[in-house]
Amino acid sequence: MTEAHAGVVRGGTGSVAEDWQPHIVALVCNWCSYAGADMAGTTRLEYPAGVRMVRLPCTGRMSPLMILKAFEQGADGVLVSGCHPGDCHYVQGNLVARRRFTIFRSLMDFIGIDLRRLHFAWVSAAEGHKWAKVVTDVTAKVREAGPLPGFANPEGWDGIELPAVTGGGPQELDTAQLDAIRVNLREAASELLAAGRAGVVIGYGVGSLPDQTVPVFVTETADCAMLEWGHWCRNNLATYVVSALGQYERVAVVAKTCDLGAISSLIREGQLRRDQLMVIGVQCPGIHNGSELAGKCLACSGEPHPICDFVVTADGVHESRQDPSEAALDMPDVRDEQIAFLESLPHEVRWRYWQRQFGRCLRCYACRAACPLCYCSSCIVEKHRPQWISTAIDNPGNSSWNIIRALHLAGRCSGCDECARVCPADIRLDLINRKLALEVECQYGKVGLDPEQRSALVDFRMEDSEEFIL
Amino acid sequence: MKERMDSSWKLTETQLREWLHGLLDANTVVAPVEEDGVLLFRRITSEDQAVIESSGKTRWSPKEFLFPRSEALYRYNFTGGTVQLDDPPVPEDHQILFGVRSCDAAGLVRLDEIFLSGTKDPIYAARRESTTVVSTACAAADAECFCTAVGGSPVGVEGSDLQLVPLDEGWLLRVLTDTGRDLVSGATDGWTAATASDGKRLSELEKKISEQIERSPVKREWSKILEEGFESPAWDQLAQHCLGCGVCAYVCPSCSCFDMNHEANAFSGEQCRSWDACTFALFTRHASGHNPRATKQERYRQRVLHKFAFREEDEPFRCVGCGRCVALCPAGLDIANAVVAAVEAIREEGADGAR
Repeated sequence: MTEAHAGVVRGGTGSVAEDWQPHIVALVCNWCSYAGADMAGTTRLEYPAGVRMVRLPCTGRMSPLMILKAFEQGADGVLVSGCHPGDCHYVQGNLVARRRFTIFRSLMDFIGIDLRRLHFAWVSAAEGHKWAKVVTDVTAKVREAGPLPGFANPEGWDGIELPAVTGGGPQELDTAQLDAIRVNLREAASELLAAGRAGVVIGYGVGSLPDQTVPVFVTETADCAMLEWGHWCRNNLATYVVSALGQYERVAVVAKTCDLGAISSLIREGQLRRDQLMVIGVQCPGIHNGSELAGKCLACSGEPHPICDFVVTADGVHESRQDPSEAALDMPDVRDEQIAFLESLPHEVRWRYWQRQFGRCLRCYACRAACPLCYCSSCIVEKHRPQWISTAIDNPGNSSWNIIRALHLAGRCSGCDECARVCPADIRLDLINRKLALEVECQYGKVGLDPEQRSALVDFRMEDSEEFIL
Repeated sequence: MKERMDSSWKLTETQLREWLHGLLDANTVVAPVEEDGVLLFRRITSEDQAVIESSGKTRWSPKEFLFPRSEALYRYNFTGGTVQLDDPPVPEDHQILFGVRSCDAAGLVRLDEIFLSGTKDPIYAARRESTTVVSTACAAADAECFCTAVGGSPVGVEGSDLQLVPLDEGWLLRVLTDTGRDLVSGATDGWTAATASDGKRLSELEKKISEQIERSPVKREWSKILEEGFESPAWDQLAQHCLGCGVCAYVCPSCSCFDMNHEANAFSGEQCRSWDACTFALFTRHASGHNPRATKQERYRQRVLHKFAFREEDEPFRCVGCGRCVALCPAGLDIANAVVAAVEAIREEGADGAR
């Protein structure tokens, strides 16, 4: 914990003085709630004085970074307030904000922020009385919740053990079958290159350690013999596709079923066109982390998905290319039990659990580098005017970084788990991503493999749920 | 290897723990502990927390206890219209790094070379001054280990004040420096003095592990070749799959690069020094936007050469062969193999050029 943040660190929520007054930051829209607060003032309404207002042009400008910054700098609660749906000065800013806040709120709940600290309200310029009531209610709620627990690695804490998860995983492939797949894969790659249908095949080659593969870029048919297949083909090679397109007109990529969601998102987000890509889907035996099947594989069939251009199995190669608009990627996840377990724990315990995880973060940004969908040329964590996320490799900056990265992927992440796999600190980023995916699906429905669909957080509906909004 | 076995003892596991218990009274003891399944160096409060094994290493090196991930160089705050400046805190406790692998202990010496040669870094120097290192020799190599290929040894004593050597039963404790002697003084009652035959264990371990590590040695003359072949096109190929993260540098026992940032709000702030890595594009990007190391290939080459070249004839490699960067690289880049491949390619290019 660095000194600039030392003022923020409070003890537990145990003993709070009677006269303790919470600090609350209100992010308010200039066109409605700000004027509503003004109205409350001119009407001489009385309400608690612990709220500091930050005037925004629109709640659409509200970023989770602002809320995190408020918590870092000592706020015990945050209120966001804007125009009623349909009244936005910019037509739809508040509707976008509503979705963003809903998802952010569920993540904050998951990592252990008591939801009595986080509020959203619609207050129009004419609603001085509502403003006074909202502030009174919010203040009472935050008082109940007590001072914000500190952003710090809980020392001397024994930790908690998540329930073990099990699952059958994909069909076992014996050595002969894997050999056959390798032969078929090499043949498919070689034909693609020979026919000029792709300039490069991105696949897996043998690594220098036992049980390791490395991404390889094969451009000559003779080199296709280096393509490997098996339990150790861990990387999501979609990460390399966009940069390879700078060099080659068309790129072929070897893909497991869990890699396809990322490819689909890249197309959806305009990073590449479907016709620039040849997807070679290969029957997967499940990947291993250490000697165990990776969590994401436990409920996966390993069957290559028919939206791939080529489907490689032990039996042979066939061209497929199903229309993606009808395709779904149904990936049940046994780790949902671990998420449910975490959610059954009290907020303080969850907070400690995640603070310890985030405390280990080295800010090596391997999560970002390995993620196929983290393609921004300049990342928010590197911007310092203003600097939203502390560069100090410690909490609270580490918490903000991991929270913001997860939120930027909400509704986009396809659950390939590369971030969690590469994390040297074993932070359970997979659980965070999965939690957000579940929340997005529950609120706004599933986004399939169709690149024409919009991802949830760039979209909105007038009738979106808002049960928690004051 | 220097033989300074003027005093060594044979300790049982119980005696080792009792000694560690005694050390906790007057010192801050940092040792490997398991946290959420990850083995890490942490400050311990009880001797039972320490995981002292005959092989295996922590996820990253203990360098953060000499060169923290982030630290304030000075602090300030505004009160009453004036600015108050605070110097950084001087470490008060004596710090013991306990159970440091031989490679990591050597890595600390590589850090010393950066922070203590020429103009000393006063914060680092103060911390180093009050630190004692108790290393643990290895009885087995991990798959990624290659200390013997870069001039190190699984039983090496560089950077150690005391060394624990795993025996079939218990431990051999070797006192290597005066600072180390202070740590055992008063604790040796009931300890068995080691005999010459116990000393043989060292050469046995060294031989056994050298055989386990199959990699061929990196030759000292290769540094020159790497420097001469700086512009070799081989680097394009070697770093093609590098993802440009900083895992390699952050888990490395000898990487010492840092960045300076101002961490402040309206009332107070600090000048903060944090780890940084040459594999990040931002590491060398100028304010103008120009980047002298514009591609990931150039950045990866920088990292490899900073470990294996850019050194005087008599200086050691900066890589100590712990192999963490190999094991943890998301894309499976292997620094030792990269050196071999680059040297081969550069030699071939030279031969082609001569033709």
